[in-house]
Amino acid sequence: MHIPDGYLSPQTCGVAFAIAVPTLAVAARKVKRVVKTRHVPTLALFSAVSFLVMMFNIPIPDGTTAHAVGGAVVAIVLGPWAAMISVSVALLFQALLFGDGGVLAYGANVLNIAIVMPVVAYGVYKLISGRAELTSARRVVAAAVAGYVSLTTAAVLTGIELGIQPDLFHDASGTPLYSPYHLAQTIPAMLLAHLLVAGVAEAALTAGVILYLQRANLPLLQVNHPGIDVEATTERRRFRPIVVAGIAVGIMTLLTPLGLLAPGGAFGEDAPEDLNLGSLGLSAVPEGLNRYAGFWQHAIFSGYKLGGETHPWVGYVLSAVIGIVVVGVVVFLIGKAVEAFSRRDTLEKV
Amino acid sequence: MTTPAWLLEREAGLCPCGCIGKRRKGSFVEKTLNGSAGLLRQVMFSDDLAHRPGLLQRIDPRAKVIGFLALLVAVSFVHSPWMLLACYLATLVLAGISGLPVVFFIKRVWLFIPIFTGIVVLPATLSLVTPGEVVLTLWHWNGHAQGFTAQGLRAAALLILRVAGSVSLVVLLTLTTPWARLLAGLRGLGVPKMFILVIGMAYRYLFHLLTSVMDMYEARKARTIGKQAHDRTARRFVAATAGALIGKSHYLAEEVHQAMTARGFRGDSKVLKSFRFGTVEVAWFAGVAVAAALALGGDSLLVR
Repeated sequence: MHIPDGYLSPQTCGVAFAIAVPTLAVAARKVKRVVKTRHVPTLALFSAVSFLVMMFNIPIPDGTTAHAVGGAVVAIVLGPWAAMISVSVALLFQALLFGDGGVLAYGANVLNIAIVMPVVAYGVYKLISGRAELTSARRVVAAAVAGYVSLTTAAVLTGIELGIQPDLFHDASGTPLYSPYHLAQTIPAMLLAHLLVAGVAEAALTAGVILYLQRANLPLLQVNHPGIDVEATTERRRFRPIVVAGIAVGIMTLLTPLGLLAPGGAFGEDAPEDLNLGSLGLSAVPEGLNRYAGFWQHAIFSGYKLGGETHPWVGYVLSAVIGIVVVGVVVFLIGKAVEAFSRRDTLEKV
Repeated sequence: MTTPAWLLEREAGLCPCGCIGKRRKGSFVEKTLNGSAGLLRQVMFSDDLAHRPGLLQRIDPRAKVIGFLALLVAVSFVHSPWMLLACYLATLVLAGISGLPVVFFIKRVWLFIPIFTGIVVLPATLSLVTPGEVVLTLWHWNGHAQGFTAQGLRAAALLILRVAGSVSLVVLLTLTTPWARLLAGLRGLGVPKMFILVIGMAYRYLFHLLTSVMDMYEARKARTIGKQAHDRTARRFVAATAGALIGKSHYLAEEVHQAMTARGFRGDSKVLKSFRFGTVEVAWFAGVAVAAALALGGDSLLVR
């Protein structure tokens, strides 16, 4: 994800620096206020840690390894502002000492890896963990999701920066001057690699470190979690699973009319007369398709158009409710039947 | 001081012919250990180089940082592959004059990024990604010839040469400037003191923490009988090591802070200011200006 020099135009690098430098200045001020004179050694050591974390190779189930960035871990343990500075300094080492990531592209790398990533990670972690006690499993899950989402976000941002290059900067013959891939190529490439491999590594590392700290070093976790209970003290009101499931289904039902906003139909679901014959190189609707298309004419709410043409969303919601009830009843009956059969089986065996 | 080569060798003590027995290699622990050893060797060797006498070593670090930044910007504005090639060759000449071992310099530059870049840009040379006139036909698809296109090859050459040139410039700067002087130069250019302090300390403690990571791995290796597993326990170990490292560094930061305040640290620091701008620096800036003008002027002639 480290962009080397030469992939980005100087103009893009300039814009990235214009965002990164003021953000780091704000981060420096925030950190200074929070940790007073202690900020220098703390930040220095955590920069070294985040540099080393980038060197950790995590074994992935398919037998290969991938390295994580560690921005999410530092953001959870020290907060997003400290993480910004630590990861930026680690990136500077990589750029100057190891040629990993460019000097002109440093602003862009800081923006993706040191600014966006910790902020996203911290936001997601806060959102999921809420006020759960420090030793709860929910915090581990929150850390894993935070690592996964933040790394993928940073990767997509990198893909966007690389992908806009050929359209913005090319010479008279159309030859791209910098990164040659378009958005349609960079984003899937970055997404695929990070969704499948690097994101998993980041999630495993982040969750693993939080799990370890819960077990072995709670005081360190308390640094950035003031006022949060270590263990569950009072029995909290718990939602029953059926209530949670009911709320989820309800929300999904209300959201079904969103489908109306989507242009075009799903591939392969067109009615025969809606087919764009010209683009397929056909002169007429294929005979077989025509013959069997109207085979089932007895659908009750054809095309989900229960509410008439004026209020299509009413029809959608009603169709959804009726559909859920029908599917629910069918599943319930199947479940009962399976239960009955299996009971008879066990009785016979006994 | 350099780390002796035998200390950094893999599989020390085993017969190279393999007649005594083979040790399984390629585990992630092994890779990380080797990576860290390589890192130590590389950084220590380059600090040795930076103290040797040479052309670039004599220049004030502030002037050097500004000059190299200007050259980097100039290289990124060059649009002709031939001019980029000339720029790259110029960095080789500069490395030679500065007393750097040229083979080591080339290896250092081409080892990491440009080869990696080469793999990345390979698909871009095909007509699938970069449409244009096909130079070398590889296959036909729906009657259209598909293969390497002139535009694709040009784009790939541009990218690889530009990356090579830029990386060479950065490596040239870091190989000819000791780390402490580079930081002092950055401070002289107005980078906030806090960042310089953090960077300097992080660099020092990087090696300290690296040693403790290596110790943890070594200890685990010593406790492990049989081949090292590549599974859930391995992942748990990596996470635990990272967690322990964070804990250790937090504790260390407290101790270092106490030591610093005990010695009178009040959030302020003094930097030795022994730099001056003399004839060498003036000549350097003139050289940079001429080089940049030549690169951009020649480029506009070539592109037209």
